[in-house]
Amino acid sequence: MSILEYNGAAIVAMMGKNCVAIAADKRLGVQLMTVSTNFQKIFPATEKCYIGLAGLATDVQTLTERFRLKINMYKLREEREIEPRTLSHLVSTTLYEKRFSPYFVEPVIAGLDKNNQPFICGMDLIGCRDVPRDFVVSGTASESLLGMCESLWEPDLEPEDLFETISQTVLNAVDRDCLSGWGAVVHVITPERVITRNLKARMD
Amino acid sequence: MNPVDFYNETLTSVPTEHGFYPYESNGGTALAIAGEDFCVVASDTRQSNGYLINARYAPKAFKMSEKAVLANSVFAADGNALVRRLTQRIQWYKHSHEKEISITALAQLVSNTLYYKRFFPFYTQVLLGGIDESGAGVVYSFDPVGSYGLEVCRANGTASALIQPFLDNQVEFKNVQFDDKPRMTLDRAICIAKDAFTSATERDIYTGDHLEIFIIKQDGITIESYPLKKD
Amino acid sequence: MDAFVNRFKGSSTFLADEISMLDGFGSYDAVKEFSQPVFEIPAVQNANCTDEKSDSECRIKIEHGTTTLAFKFQGGIIVAVDSRASAGNYIASQTVKKVIEINPYLLGTMAGGAADCQFWQRELGRHCRLYELRNKERISVAAASKLLANMVYPYKRMGISMGTMVTGWDKTGPNLFYVDSDGSRYKNDVFSVGSGATFAYGVLDSGLDYELSTNDAIELGRRSIYQATYRDAASGGSVRIYHVEKEGWKFIGLYDVGKLHWEYCGL
Repeated sequence: MSILEYNGAAIVAMMGKNCVAIAADKRLGVQLMTVSTNFQKIFPATEKCYIGLAGLATDVQTLTERFRLKINMYKLREEREIEPRTLSHLVSTTLYEKRFSPYFVEPVIAGLDKNNQPFICGMDLIGCRDVPRDFVVSGTASESLLGMCESLWEPDLEPEDLFETISQTVLNAVDRDCLSGWGAVVHVITPERVITRNLKARMD
Repeated sequence: MNPVDFYNETLTSVPTEHGFYPYESNGGTALAIAGEDFCVVASDTRQSNGYLINARYAPKAFKMSEKAVLANSVFAADGNALVRRLTQRIQWYKHSHEKEISITALAQLVSNTLYYKRFFPFYTQVLLGGIDESGAGVVYSFDPVGSYGLEVCRANGTASALIQPFLDNQVEFKNVQFDDKPRMTLDRAICIAKDAFTSATERDIYTGDHLEIFIIKQDGITIESYPLKKD
Repeated sequence: MDAFVNRFKGSSTFLADEISMLDGFGSYDAVKEFSQPVFEIPAVQNANCTDEKSDSECRIKIEHGTTTLAFKFQGGIIVAVDSRASAGNYIASQTVKKVIEINPYLLGTMAGGAADCQFWQRELGRHCRLYELRNKERISVAAASKLLANMVYPYKRMGISMGTMVTGWDKTGPNLFYVDSDGSRYKNDVFSVGSGATFAYGVLDSGLDYELSTNDAIELGRRSIYQATYRDAASGGSVRIYHVEKEGWKFIGLYDVGKLHWEYCGL
């Protein structure tokens, strides 16, 4: 069994029309045993940018703190908020620093830049960036998520439609994965505000 | 060659060991959806071996009787061997009972045929779609050693994880709030099958080339064929 | 009558010289039809290619992961199971029938290899029917469970995986046996089998009382399986409940865990 599958996670980010959405499940498990059903996997980086971390839970928490430090240092030094694209490079280099003893985490970044252009980015555990124009997935349910995204997603979705699409994607994908699920959280980032909703899901 | 070199090169070299592994994965995907009075069995026709495509048109779904279609994926050699074995058994059944085999009996036959090779299994995932005695559509799915169950819709093969959640959502309306769920029509089932395969073809390298859809109805089986991406 | 029965006693799966070894009930075999590779294949000979632990590239995945339970109480036996089949982390099915109706008064449960349980319990059903025709009375649960244990024992260490509970009502009353593919066969009042069994035992043991009413017993079984599906990732789907009574088993119901959770939450 891969160490990336030790705790279980499902994270997906989607592009919309002047908005992005990022969603994750809430389970923390130790292999097949569910330990928590309220585990945070998506963290705000700035007001309009979120990082989702799927993989080994201990590394998720370590990296959250490291990124918080780096993002705050950036803000102090530059006197401005970090852009999603810059953040993705920061995350990538942080991961590549540990090229030969990596953090077992596959991050997903979603946000709006200073011109409110949507940006999403996926990464492998050593920081190879992938910046698509549609959606990215990560975690133990990635195959199911990919199948759902590929058939439900369409370009230029408005925030409410994007919310419905990403919710259906994540709910149906985690229902076919043992190691993720037990509730989900969705953030839809629009230029005006961030809509955060908790989804009721199957609890098995 | 002088004796010393001969000794060094020939006699002390370790002989190469050639292993033989009886299985390989040829990829491919199949899905089946059961309706009230029909059944749809769809499968792609690509057969691959690693990064190579062996054949662009190698059907995986076969008509077993006037009311049953069997689709198998993963290892083509075992799949074909299984189909040939079953075809013969179905013939015998026909001759000794003077009637066509029912889908329930056929499902049990497939299960036993698979289990009899429990210690050297057929490396194949089987889907059996058809019409039962009452005229209702049924789908049976089997694991490689013959455990089976009745299902409403099912995707098997390399892209099963990509397609199955989509079917759960669109056919069984999982995670959708409806007061009463709409009836599954034949047109909708075909539409879902096509969507599922075009999506799967985008992401699964083992699925593509052509889509064959078997439509099983009380009055017989028709086959529709559609192109899929060939990359 | 015997002539008629004898026509069917040799199954497709039986060695003639083994008849004496086990029973008078008719030959269990299954051996003859089983194909083995005729040539030596390292992958097949050493570790069985369906073995969970073997990590070879083309490992055949068979469906695993379960919670099943059964317990005795004053009104008979309650059998409750989940309905998930998982292959690796992927959920292959949420609608598996893990209670096998061997015949109208015998039930078997399914944990381990789905095909192994299905095949051998079907074979057991056939043998129980032959016994009935031959002896003009129903087979006892003890005998039936021993028949199953002895049927699979020759295949020990060949990769068969089966953890089953055989229950029913016979002349001696309600009976509950645990039989597995290692050769174990135990009689007891409470059993839970599968990856979620520890979670189920937790609820079951705290609420178990022989004097429980039928409705309370059903509720206990349902709650135990539900709690197991909540904690165990490899269990889920629906709770399927059966009640074994004097007149035979009765199907109580199928409860979707997705909905059950919110009922128990009081929503």
